[in-house]
Amino acid sequence: MLIKRGLAIVMVATGIFAMEVAMSVIMKGDLLFPSNAAAPGQFPEQWIHGSKSAMDNTDPAVQVHRYNEHTYILRENKAINYEGAFMYVFFGNGVALLIDQGSTSSPALFPLREVVDELIANWEEEFDQSSTHLIVANSHLHGDHYAAWNQFVDRENTTMVGLTHEEMMHYWGFSNYPDERLEFDLGGRKFVITGTPGHQSSEIALYDEWTDLLYTGDMFYRGRLYLEDWDAWAASIKRLRAMADDYPVSYLINNHIEMTKTPMVDYPIGTTWQPNEPPMQMSLEMLDEAVKATEVINQAGIYKYPDFLIYNEVPWAYTTDP
Amino acid sequence: MTKLAGCIILSLAWLPAAHAHMLNMTEIQIAADTTANATVTVRIDLGQSGLMTPESYWDAVSGADLPQKNEVLNRALEALESKIEVVVDGGLRDLKLRDYQIKAVSLEAIENPLTPQMTEVRFALTGAMPTSESIIAIRLKDTLDVPWPCLVRVDYFAALPISRLLTEEARSSGEIRLDGSRAEPGADFLISAVLKLQAWLPSLTWLMVGVQHIIPMGSDHMVFILGLFFLSTKLASLLLQVTAFTLAHSVTLALTTLGYIAAPAHFVEPLIAASILYVAIDNLYSRKVAKWRLLVVTGFGLLHGMGFASALSELALPEDSMLSALMFFNLGVEIGQIAVLFIAYVVFGWLQNWPLYRQRVAEPASMTIAGIGLYWLIKRLA
Repeated sequence: MLIKRGLAIVMVATGIFAMEVAMSVIMKGDLLFPSNAAAPGQFPEQWIHGSKSAMDNTDPAVQVHRYNEHTYILRENKAINYEGAFMYVFFGNGVALLIDQGSTSSPALFPLREVVDELIANWEEEFDQSSTHLIVANSHLHGDHYAAWNQFVDRENTTMVGLTHEEMMHYWGFSNYPDERLEFDLGGRKFVITGTPGHQSSEIALYDEWTDLLYTGDMFYRGRLYLEDWDAWAASIKRLRAMADDYPVSYLINNHIEMTKTPMVDYPIGTTWQPNEPPMQMSLEMLDEAVKATEVINQAGIYKYPDFLIYNEVPWAYTTDP
Repeated sequence: MTKLAGCIILSLAWLPAAHAHMLNMTEIQIAADTTANATVTVRIDLGQSGLMTPESYWDAVSGADLPQKNEVLNRALEALESKIEVVVDGGLRDLKLRDYQIKAVSLEAIENPLTPQMTEVRFALTGAMPTSESIIAIRLKDTLDVPWPCLVRVDYFAALPISRLLTEEARSSGEIRLDGSRAEPGADFLISAVLKLQAWLPSLTWLMVGVQHIIPMGSDHMVFILGLFFLSTKLASLLLQVTAFTLAHSVTLALTTLGYIAAPAHFVEPLIAASILYVAIDNLYSRKVAKWRLLVVTGFGLLHGMGFASALSELALPEDSMLSALMFFNLGVEIGQIAVLFIAYVVFGWLQNWPLYRQRVAEPASMTIAGIGLYWLIKRLA
C-alpha cells in the first residue's frame, strides 16, 4: 500500500515533469536577436518610384518591403506625396517599433494604419506571437514624417511617443541630448540611440545591433541635406562616424531618395516620377565624405557631392532647381 | 513702412529654413503664461491658408499702401479667432487677439508651399485659468481652412507637453487632460467604467490583485487549499483549518510587507511546496482531522504569507495608503481562496456521502496533489 501510493505520487510528479518538457519543446521559445554577426537582409532592386502621371498611378499607397523576417521598410507612394518618405517597422519579442508616419494624413489616400496592422498580424501569425505592443515613434519632428500619426491615436496596446521635443527626449530617456548614447531594448533586440540634430533639432539616429543597420533619418540621405544648424549637423555627422567606429555597420538607411544615379545631380523638388533613382541605402564611404565636408565648409551655401547635396542654412526659396 | 518691410525681407533671406522638410503645417500651442492667463499661439502659413491670397499677404507684409491691406489681414485674424474653438471643462471659451508677427521673404516665396512664410498670432484665452484638473479640447471649425496637418501642443501643469495632431478629417483633438494623464486609447466602455471606479476606490484594485494571486497566479496556494479540502468532509472542520491558515498568512504577509521580518524566496518557496506534499500525504493516512493538524496548518499559513509578501513586493504599494492596500490585498486573497473551495464543493461536494468517496475520489486526488507538491519541491530545490 505504502509503496503503491509512493509510486503513484512519484508518477504524478514525473508526469508533470514530462509534460513540462514536452510543452517547452512544442512551444517556441523567444525570438533571438544576437549581436555577434549582422543578420542578413535585402533591399529591393529598385523601389517603386512614382509614375509619369500621378493620376494614373496604380501602385500601392504604401510599399512594404521585407528587409528580413523582423525588419520592414515602408515607402509612401510618390504619386500620393512627392516626398516618397521611407518608414520602418522593427520587430522584437512582443513589441513593434514604427518609425515615422509619412507625409499624408488622409486614411483614404494613405491607409498607413491599415498597412501596419496587417503587417503586424501577418508577422504574429508567422512567428507565433500575439498582443504585440506598437510604439509609434519619429526620427525627427517634421510634418512630412508624422502626417499619418493621428491614424494610430485610438489604437489599443500602442504607445504614442509624441510630437514635441520634450516628449521624445522623455520617451527615449535622454538627459544629455544629443551627445549621449542610449541603449534601447525592443523585446530582446538591442538598439543604440543617439542624438543627431542639424536638419531638425529633435532628430535621433538608431543603430540596430542585430542587423547592423544604422538609421540616419533625414540628416543623412541621398538628396538635399537641408541644414538649419550647421554646427549641430557637423557634430552629428561626427557622432555617427564615432558610432560606426564602435559598432559594425552593414548599411546606412534613411528617409528619402532625391538624387539621380548621375553623381551630383538631384531630381527637382516635387518630382513624382524617379525612374533613375539610386538605392536608398548608403555606405560608410559616403559618411566619410560627409565627415570631410564638415572640415571644409564654413559658410552658408549649396555644396555638391556625388551622393548628396549639402544645403547649408539655405532657405527653401533658394534652390538649384530649375 | 516699406523700408521696415525691406529690412524684414533682407534679414530673413538667409535665415535657416526652420520648416525645412516642409509641410507648411499649422501649429497651435496652448500655454499658461506669467500673467496667470492662458495664451493660444497659432503659427500658420496664412498665404496658403485660404484666409488670404498670396498677394494680399504680401501687401500686408510689404506695407504697400493699399486701403484694403489691413482689412484683409484683420478678416483673416478674426476668422482664426472665431473658428479655433477651445473647450475647457465642457465650456467653449472665446479667444481674444493679443498680437501677431507677420513675415515673408517675397511674393514668390508666399506662393510656393515649399517655402512656408509663417505668421505667428497670439490670442488670450478668456475666462478663468484652467486648473490642473481641467480637461480641454481644441477643434477647428469646418469652415476654417488651414495648411494641414495642425499640430496641437499643450504646455500646462504636466511635466511634459501634450501633443495632438488635427487633420482635415479629424478636426478635434479630443479630450486633453491637463494633468498629463492619458485616457486609455480605445478602451471600451466597460474598461473605462472600471478605471473610473478604480480611480475612485484605489483599494478595489488591491482587492483584485489579491484575488489574482490565488486565481490564476497562485497555483501553489490553490493546490494547498484543495489539499485541505480533500481531508475534511465536514464543512466546520474545513472552515476551521482555512481560518487558521488565513489568520496565519495574514500575520506574516503584513509583517513581511512592512519590513519587520524578511523571508528569502529560495527558502520559503521550497517549504511551500513541502507543505503541499505534507498535507496531501497526511490526507492519505489520517481518517479525521487531528488536533495537531490545525497547528501544522497554522504553521504553513505563516509560510504562505511570506510567499504572498514576496509576490506583493514586486508591485509598488502606495506609500500613503499602504495599510489599506495591504488589507484589501489580503481580503482579495481570501476571496480567491473561498472561490477555490466553492468550485471544489460544486465539483466534488455531492460525492462526499458516497461510501467510496475516500477510496475513489479523495485518495487519488490527494496522491495527485502530493505528486504536484513533490514536483514543485524538487524543482524549487534544484
